[in-house]
Amino acid sequence: MGKIGTRAGVAALALLSLAVTSCGSGKATGGGGGGDAGAANVDGVKTGPGVTATTITVSALTDLTGPYASFGKSQTQAQQLYFDQVNAGGGVCGRKYELVVRDHGYDTQKAVAAYTEIAPKSAAIVQFIGSPMITALKQRIDGDKLLTIPMAWATTLLGSRAIQVTGTTYDVDMINAVEFLTKEKGIKSGDKIGHLYFEGDYGESSLNGSKYAADKLGLQIVEQKIKATDQDMSAQVAAFKAAGVKAVLVSVGPRQTASLVGVSLAKGMDVPFVGSNSAYAPQLLATPAGPALLKDFYYVSAGTPVSAQNPGMQKLVADYQAKYPGETLDSGVPTGWSAAMIVDEAMKKACEAKDLTREGVLNAHRSQSNFGGDFGTPMNFTFFDKPASRSSYVLKPDKAALGGAVVFREAEVSELAKDYPVPVG
Amino acid sequence: MSEPTSTAGTPVPETPTAGTSIPSASTRGKPTRGAFRPLRAALCFGARPLRAALWLAVLAVAVAVPFYLEGFWLQAGLFAMSAAIGAIGINLLTGATGQLSLGHAFFLAVGAYSYVSLSSDLGLPTPLAAVAAVIVAGVSGGLFSPIAGRLKGAYLGIATLALIFVGQHILFNAEPVTGGFNGRPVPPMELFGLVFADTPELVVLNVPFGSLERLWFLGIALLAGAAVFARGVLRGRPGLAMNTIRDHEIAAGVMGVPVARYRAGVFVLSSMYGGLAGVLVALVFQQVVPDYFGMLLSLDYLATIVIGGLGSVAGAVVGAAFVSLLPQLLTRYSDALPLVAEPGSGGVSPAEAARILYGAAVVAVVLFLPGGLVGLATRLGRVRLKELRWAKSAPAPASRR
Amino acid sequence: MAVFLELLVNGISVGAVYALIALGFVVIFKATEVVNFTHASLLLAGGYVIARLHPLIGFWAALAAGIAAAALVGALVEFLILRRAHVGSRGVLAIVTIGVDILLTTELTRRIGTEVLALGDPWGDRVLRLGPVTVAETRVVALAVAATLIVAFLLAFKFTGWGVAMRAAAEDAETAALMGVRLGRVSLSAWAVAGALAAVAAMFLCVFPTPGLDRGTAAAAMKAFPAAILGGLDSTTGALAGGLIVGVTETLMSGYQSELAFLGRGIGDAAPFLVMIVILLLRPSGLFGTKEPARV
Repeated sequence: MGKIGTRAGVAALALLSLAVTSCGSGKATGGGGGGDAGAANVDGVKTGPGVTATTITVSALTDLTGPYASFGKSQTQAQQLYFDQVNAGGGVCGRKYELVVRDHGYDTQKAVAAYTEIAPKSAAIVQFIGSPMITALKQRIDGDKLLTIPMAWATTLLGSRAIQVTGTTYDVDMINAVEFLTKEKGIKSGDKIGHLYFEGDYGESSLNGSKYAADKLGLQIVEQKIKATDQDMSAQVAAFKAAGVKAVLVSVGPRQTASLVGVSLAKGMDVPFVGSNSAYAPQLLATPAGPALLKDFYYVSAGTPVSAQNPGMQKLVADYQAKYPGETLDSGVPTGWSAAMIVDEAMKKACEAKDLTREGVLNAHRSQSNFGGDFGTPMNFTFFDKPASRSSYVLKPDKAALGGAVVFREAEVSELAKDYPVPVG
Repeated sequence: MSEPTSTAGTPVPETPTAGTSIPSASTRGKPTRGAFRPLRAALCFGARPLRAALWLAVLAVAVAVPFYLEGFWLQAGLFAMSAAIGAIGINLLTGATGQLSLGHAFFLAVGAYSYVSLSSDLGLPTPLAAVAAVIVAGVSGGLFSPIAGRLKGAYLGIATLALIFVGQHILFNAEPVTGGFNGRPVPPMELFGLVFADTPELVVLNVPFGSLERLWFLGIALLAGAAVFARGVLRGRPGLAMNTIRDHEIAAGVMGVPVARYRAGVFVLSSMYGGLAGVLVALVFQQVVPDYFGMLLSLDYLATIVIGGLGSVAGAVVGAAFVSLLPQLLTRYSDALPLVAEPGSGGVSPAEAARILYGAAVVAVVLFLPGGLVGLATRLGRVRLKELRWAKSAPAPASRR
Repeated sequence: MAVFLELLVNGISVGAVYALIALGFVVIFKATEVVNFTHASLLLAGGYVIARLHPLIGFWAALAAGIAAAALVGALVEFLILRRAHVGSRGVLAIVTIGVDILLTTELTRRIGTEVLALGDPWGDRVLRLGPVTVAETRVVALAVAATLIVAFLLAFKFTGWGVAMRAAAEDAETAALMGVRLGRVSLSAWAVAGALAAVAAMFLCVFPTPGLDRGTAAAAMKAFPAAILGGLDSTTGALAGGLIVGVTETLMSGYQSELAFLGRGIGDAAPFLVMIVILLLRPSGLFGTKEPARV
């Protein structure tokens, strides 16, 4: 016994010493952080994490199994399509893109875990769904200087140099929505308008915007806050009806929108509804609430709908349908595509400056002041404490149109939105 | 670790369960398979020096991990450690005392948010804030105990659901303290001058030590402390009393166990474990957000202890490792696995596969593996089932056969 | 006043749906003393079958198929898993039902995918006007169905052999078994009945005023927990009362949230749980529940 004990003891001590000296550890780099960061490559381009001599790795942290699965799927497929096309055309900077997809199912812990896994080996994040997840990681993303395109539009995501919120934020959309109501739907000073919104930063960002606009225009907002699990909007409609609202703003999910609009009309509350860009999904038109949505419902977005008649969008639609026949064409397709484009553009610019380090990519990205075109309103990336754009389209559901929506009013910046001081952080 | 409570000749029944816990959890990935049986035998009944040496080896592996594994694994390990601490707490309550609780996520939230608030708002030194946060979690468990004392069984189980829903309502609305939907940044722990964060930079033996590497050691220490304490509770008089309450409450009362006091006490203790798990998970996250502390987390904890093994510390640790590592493994290696499709391609995605396996594990355990994974390991180690504390105190399945 | 009436009527109407879900819990608890977390996925299963079949065979046939399918799933869960589970206590069986729920829900939500499925019900979005108050026709039907089913169950428990067997099994399983009650059959039938009830509840849950069945539908089952428990876990009358209390509380709190802003917005979701706690403090076994007898 004693002998075995001694031998085991010696073995254990050996193991311990081995552990502590960490010989053969891949991690033993001598410190200094990112290993090959800043190392100049053969072609004279400085590279950082996620960039090798042949590939640039970009990542998507998306939701393919949770509440935003349909949106996540369209975006991911559109981005895959984008990078495939770029690679087929020779890639960028002599390198091919590699898209790494991680599904977090709208779960904060899984998102944090996935970020920790992919961040050290990515040059940029082309898609990150879910504001609670991005909020939880905001500090780290900023510290890692990892260019990230969030697929959420809350003002709380502004104020970080590495995070690029695309287009308008929810509050700007709602300001434009209120101004649309006063200009075209006969809402005037002294009227009450309802605002149904989700608990969380989506709803509460939107509410900031509607309150600001209402304050400036002499309107009164009747608030109704709900949770994502609420399905039946009867109580909310009753409250709006009792308050005598002349219009309702909608910053909830598509299901709740359908219930709200359907119940309102059935109960004789025939007013205009204007939703945020996440309040509508084309799938709703097939449900019993479809006719109600086609009546007097609009939604506001900085993204161009897939039904738009411009060459870029039409080519995207054709290519997407060729690669993914039969898949729903929703707003996720152009949104994902243009996010991939933003990252690609930054890489190209960074390549010209021969600096593909994270700092180089961020500098290149932040040097662009007029990014835009066929997929959304023009964006300015040179600042990060204000939304990249302040103009939004007003869109209307349409059964016959691709993607279930058409442009009702072309994109404009309302007078109010122009001077709106955005609360950051 | 601790002294055996009887002479070396007659092994204590609970020794196998308790003694085998740590190695099976933290030697994962090491080629110990072949050496499994002698190792286990040694840990359970073997000579003291051999046993000490093996514990030393376990320690060595635990120390070595941050020097070799990348951040992803360290973080996964830290989540597992936090889950293990929380699971030990719920196992004391549900496994050992037989009281179902669906409110465990609430106590994690109390711990996490108290730590943030006490250190940021009141300016308490972070270690003190952590201790205070655990106490606050215990106190909130105590405040619930008028209800816990009055209700029993299924009624109490469902009543604890209120903690989740009311708790989330508070997290979203008490903005000055909780930061509302945004949550709040978590100040890094500072212990004896060492900051558990990425800055200031620290290089140990050529390996850069960021926050995850540093937290790893804190996590190991907290988990070891939590496990040893719980094991002490379970092996001592309180443990016997708790099991008696679970198996026959009235008999326990007749035998002189102060049932109400014990039940309230275990509830408070389990809340404190929840609070500690909350503090650790907050430190790993670096930002607390309300969404995390929901219903699903509570349900995960219950599934965890069933999968690992009810009523033992080892069960909680093994279950936590299984439940928190499985989805990450599947996601990470989805390309290499058969039957698992690329995310978005229409087949079973890694996240779904993980959920299915995890649900199936709960079912498989109750159908085929009484005693959970730990019970299985023990049986593989040729320790007879009847020696298991779990089986001993649950005669129903045995009599059915 | 008109607002109050409108909210009250809407609360009662949504409470009827919760009562139907709660009734399913109660039937299983009464027969087996197990808290059934699988109920959420039974709802999904029933709703899914109705949604997929109604374009092919019409609404009523699809409803019948959905009821049968959910009953079958319930019976299978009992027969294949719960009956064979080696566990020490009913608390652990409750955790087993969590595992089963995770399995079923994952598969069903995967099949539902990102769609919102309509159920093709005959009521559509018609509403009934009672003076100043409007209420959806679907909800009126739900209330009638819930009341009818609950009366039927009360009678069945009193007068049928099945009901007596179930009550006996709940009272004292061992003695009942000695008296010739087949416990397996009692518990199997309870699960099947609960599944059927879940399908009916799912149907009412997914029609107007909600847009249809989707992956989030199962979340509503959570609201039936406070309903079942504050009425008393073993009382069918309690399920109805509990459902109505939860529905009315939730609706009133949401409707008056502007006036109740000091409680925090969105109090409607937490309020039923607060009411539940208050009632349980006064009556630890719920309003109509029987006090658990001490067995020595």
